[in-house]
Amino acid sequence: MKMKGTTPVNSTPNDPRPSVLIHDPTLRDGHHAVGHRLDAGQLRAYATAANAARVPVVEVGHGNGLGASSLQIGRALLDDATMLTTVREALTSSKMGVFMAPGWGTSEDLTAAVDLGADVVRIAAHCTEADVTERHLGTARALGAEAQGVLLMSHMASPERLAEQCALMAKYGAQAVGIMDSAGHYLPGDVIERVQAIASAVDVPVIFHGHNNLGLAVANSLAAVEAGASVIDATARGFGAGAGNTQLEALVAVLDRRGFDTGIGLREVLSAADAAADHLMKAPPSIDSIAVAGGLAGVFSGFKCPVLEAARAEGVDAIDLFLALGERQIVAGQEDLIGDVARQLKAGSR
Amino acid sequence: MAAEERRRVAVLGAGLIGIDLAGKITRSSKLELALVAGRRRDSLGLRRAAEMGLPTTAGGVRAVVEAGAFDVVFDATNADSHAEHWAALRPTGTTLIDLTPTGLGTVTVPGLEGHRSAAHRHLNLVSCGGQASIPVLHAIAQRCTPTYIEVVSTGASASAGPATRLNLDQYIATTSAAIRTFTGAREVKVMVNISPARPAPPFRVAMTVLADNFRPAPVRTSIAAAAEAVRAYVPGFKVASLAVDPGRIQVAVEVTPSGRHLPHHAGSVDIINAAAVLLAEQSAAASR
Repeated sequence: MKMKGTTPVNSTPNDPRPSVLIHDPTLRDGHHAVGHRLDAGQLRAYATAANAARVPVVEVGHGNGLGASSLQIGRALLDDATMLTTVREALTSSKMGVFMAPGWGTSEDLTAAVDLGADVVRIAAHCTEADVTERHLGTARALGAEAQGVLLMSHMASPERLAEQCALMAKYGAQAVGIMDSAGHYLPGDVIERVQAIASAVDVPVIFHGHNNLGLAVANSLAAVEAGASVIDATARGFGAGAGNTQLEALVAVLDRRGFDTGIGLREVLSAADAAADHLMKAPPSIDSIAVAGGLAGVFSGFKCPVLEAARAEGVDAIDLFLALGERQIVAGQEDLIGDVARQLKAGSR
Repeated sequence: MAAEERRRVAVLGAGLIGIDLAGKITRSSKLELALVAGRRRDSLGLRRAAEMGLPTTAGGVRAVVEAGAFDVVFDATNADSHAEHWAALRPTGTTLIDLTPTGLGTVTVPGLEGHRSAAHRHLNLVSCGGQASIPVLHAIAQRCTPTYIEVVSTGASASAGPATRLNLDQYIATTSAAIRTFTGAREVKVMVNISPARPAPPFRVAMTVLADNFRPAPVRTSIAAAAEAVRAYVPGFKVASLAVDPGRIQVAVEVTPSGRHLPHHAGSVDIINAAAVLLAEQSAAASR
């Protein structure tokens, strides 16, 4: 079956409204906010609550996905297998999702994840590098998982380029493709332009993943849906890298008001969000000064914690450091440069 | 040296790596490039090789076998094709230098195994990240006992061709295994970034070594000496940052191609090809 634009992808027989599939990476992207240190009890508590709220897909893992636990990006408290096993046990109706970027994880990690019960596999590449996903999208399909392709740091490429890259991933076998606003840089108009370009280039559902650096994650996600995206990422309380993600419970309410069906009950999702607030975080993500600077400079949201550390260690201003990283167009995975750039700033200011 | 004393070599693969390799071989006084073999007559690489005045073929490995005896054949294709290429070339008696990350041949880094590698007819050059990191990591491992080593390579989008992109899993597996071999570290983690940034960043390899009970000064001296040794065949190799703390050594190296033959971001291509040419020259010297 070919699906395009706002054609329902998960509509229920009783609900004639166009439907949107909510993909919840609270237990993956949220790891960026806590140095990848969620424990099994925390994973279990939220997965249980999200499952009860009928959230369709619950994604889990290190902030940068399978195989990414490292000194470079941050060592996770739990290994991939423990995280997946814990969440799998808690999910009776929700699907379990994983994320993997070739170069950080490998086919071996992917195979292990599907063996442990991952249903939905996201293969990620930086915005113009979709051809690195060919092998792993193929592997995911061969393993019988639902394979999706996503482009990171998508603000660095034009709508046409993103559309062409998404079409490549669809050709490699991705059953949904789309973009991540990894830096929280987009305004609604940027999202509409990009989602429309992608939707007209592919015959599979389009994914949008927002960040809230400029306070627009929910607005951008709504814009994405209205422009034809039908898979939207959202996390409880917005728990995620930097200023956080699109806030799940707010998005569910907004989509409901706008006449879209998510299959998620409002009371249940509010309970899940409360569970996230109780178990996962000291405080929900906020749009602090660093977040605004990072969003404007187009720097990966996940750099917030390492940037604050490097700025403190070298005695430089964290906002200056964020802006300097933006000038060099540093992408996720290049954490080794943060200290170097901080030292250069320090040397330059002497 | 007279031309007839040069070793007769062929390059298999006409991608980003193969074509720069062909150029480097033509500038060697010890090697004579007798054939560049690609798969598609209309490929940009083969056209470039022909423009350089080199003999070319679109017949792939079969054409190399048919073209008669070569002292050295370089495989600059992709990891999935390499085993087949070795099977076809092995009976011809040639030395095969593998630039793909299969790890099938004897894993070789100039200066570390080069002197012994002449005895082997099937050499593997690990990966560009391996060629950039292993000389430094090997030097560090002479001064301490690493318990964990992590290596993160970042290359510009334009420096990574289709085979490199398809072979990331093999790149990681082969580079990790080679680092274990050359350092004795039990746990090794390798990661790769391909950066879309414009202007394109230089090729950079960041290394972190965890080890107990080492003295910082000899570690620093060994790293500097290792970098100097690599600069003998890769002039654009430099230590970009170095921090030696209790229990932890962090080194980042960058490779910027010297000369006009490669763009500044193509350091990954520069270092693996420089290593390949040096090994072929050494094997030529050893076989006399």
